[in-house]
Amino acid sequence: MIELSPILVTLKLATYTTIILLIIGTPLAWWLASTSSKFKVIIESVVALPLVLPPTVLGFYLLLALSPDGFIGQIWSYVSSTPLSFSFTGLVIGSVIYSMPFVVQPLQASFEMVGKPIQQAAYTLGANSFDTFRNIVLPLSSRGFLVAITLGFAHTVGEFGVVLMIGGNIPEVTQVLSIIIYDHVEVLEYTQAHYYSIGLLVFSFVILFLTYSLNRKLMVRI
Amino acid sequence: MIEVNYKYKLKNFLLDVSFTMPESGITVLFGPSGSGKTSVLNLMSGLINKKNAEINSKFIINNRVIDDSINGVKLEPWVRKIAYVFQDHRLFPHMTTKDNILFGYKRCESKLNPEELIEKFKIKELLEQFPEQLSGGQKQRVSMVRALLSQPELLILDEPLAALDYKSRQELLPYIECIHKELDIPMIYVSHDIKEVLRLANYILIMDKGMVVDQGDIADLCISQPLLTQEEGASFILEATVTQIVEEDKLVELDCGEKILITAENMQPNQKIRLLIHARDVSLCLSPPQNSSILNCVPIRIDDVETDANGKLRVLAKIGKQTLVSLISHRSARQLKVEKGRDMYAQFKATAMIK
Repeated sequence: MIELSPILVTLKLATYTTIILLIIGTPLAWWLASTSSKFKVIIESVVALPLVLPPTVLGFYLLLALSPDGFIGQIWSYVSSTPLSFSFTGLVIGSVIYSMPFVVQPLQASFEMVGKPIQQAAYTLGANSFDTFRNIVLPLSSRGFLVAITLGFAHTVGEFGVVLMIGGNIPEVTQVLSIIIYDHVEVLEYTQAHYYSIGLLVFSFVILFLTYSLNRKLMVRI
Repeated sequence: MIEVNYKYKLKNFLLDVSFTMPESGITVLFGPSGSGKTSVLNLMSGLINKKNAEINSKFIINNRVIDDSINGVKLEPWVRKIAYVFQDHRLFPHMTTKDNILFGYKRCESKLNPEELIEKFKIKELLEQFPEQLSGGQKQRVSMVRALLSQPELLILDEPLAALDYKSRQELLPYIECIHKELDIPMIYVSHDIKEVLRLANYILIMDKGMVVDQGDIADLCISQPLLTQEEGASFILEATVTQIVEEDKLVELDCGEKILITAENMQPNQKIRLLIHARDVSLCLSPPQNSSILNCVPIRIDDVETDANGKLRVLAKIGKQTLVSLISHRSARQLKVEKGRDMYAQFKATAMIK
């Protein structure tokens, strides 16, 4: 009655998205936190776009970009012969863009909280920029990372509009939890919809609960 | 010799400093707030570095070039070997005292012994504590040890005591003197507090509106810059060594080239102290008076006589190798025939002691 595959696809998608976002988002957030470049505001706005845009708008343009003739699709064709649209990879790309602000913004805020003065102190003690980032900024930003990981992951799990536009609802490939709930509701299978919905509800609560308690512990230490 | 030259566009004015400072002892950078003191320190430590703001720079510590705009040298802050003690301590909040003080130590080939400094700065009990558990004075002590253990060739202290209360300040001063006496690292020290300056400085740089307007040894500058001591008329400094404690009279006998007595407590023999004496408290006479309540009467030789801004005569004289200043009236000068090269006696009460 309950299929496992949407759950697995959802978890896989959220995990991949979060990892990729940490890899891209950390240097981006670091740059945003430390630059005085005039491009900063432009990049900040672009990163924040998914917060205000309807997911369908984002999904629509991603659909165009991911198609074999689209901007990303063409680049992809050099790497792989399989098309991007309606694939898991395409879904990951969409999720990364869609969840970007939820990772970049908390990281940027926590890097800014660490501040220049303490880094300057590290410099004068013989630590170069990377050393300072690794040993001063990163540990002092642990709460920012916790929030970024949680929000990035949870937000990807809860994604609907973008997935609907670019995922194609292919079982075991791109069919995620939010979509299958929608499918069940459409054909009036409320019982199944309930199972998935309650599951997601509990899961989201537990994640947030764990995060906030861990956050408190970290706050006490730093 | 440490040579510092910077011409740099700051937000409100042009910073244009050029000075040399001795490679040992404490050089105090003194001046009103907003005169550019901290900017000078930040330039020296490489912490401000806007390419189009710099007009020229040349900074050399004992033949080691740190900055040289002509030859395109600009060392990164982490290779300058210039440690910094900030007003706001800037200890790393996620590290214990121990990890804090070893941060710089691990990153240089330091020959210093951490144990020794831990002992000297009395921070052994604090080693396992985090910065937030420390008092203001303790934080600053840890911050000094942290800076020293990175074995710097120059130590910058930017008003390290300004954020502390009076008591903590008094407790910390001896530690700063200890750095000077035992480690012999040149220090540049920024302060607003004239008492601190008079107590610590060996050499003074006076800054105003982005420029160094005067510089010299503390004793010379006290005499040539009466405003420095914020006293009416002039004051001067005498360096002296405690030779004897006279318990029953609560007096201390000092040697400053001549023997003098001061009222003081808590002194030890051989302790070096610095006296600040107002020139108006020094009177001159031709022979030592027989019946006087003033204890100190020392032979001097007149060096120079000049009229000061208030029409009084400023007499500069040698006491041992040091300079003494007396403010007297024209009439007294005529009666006593005060002139250059004359041997006389100076009488003064010395109670204004700095350390």
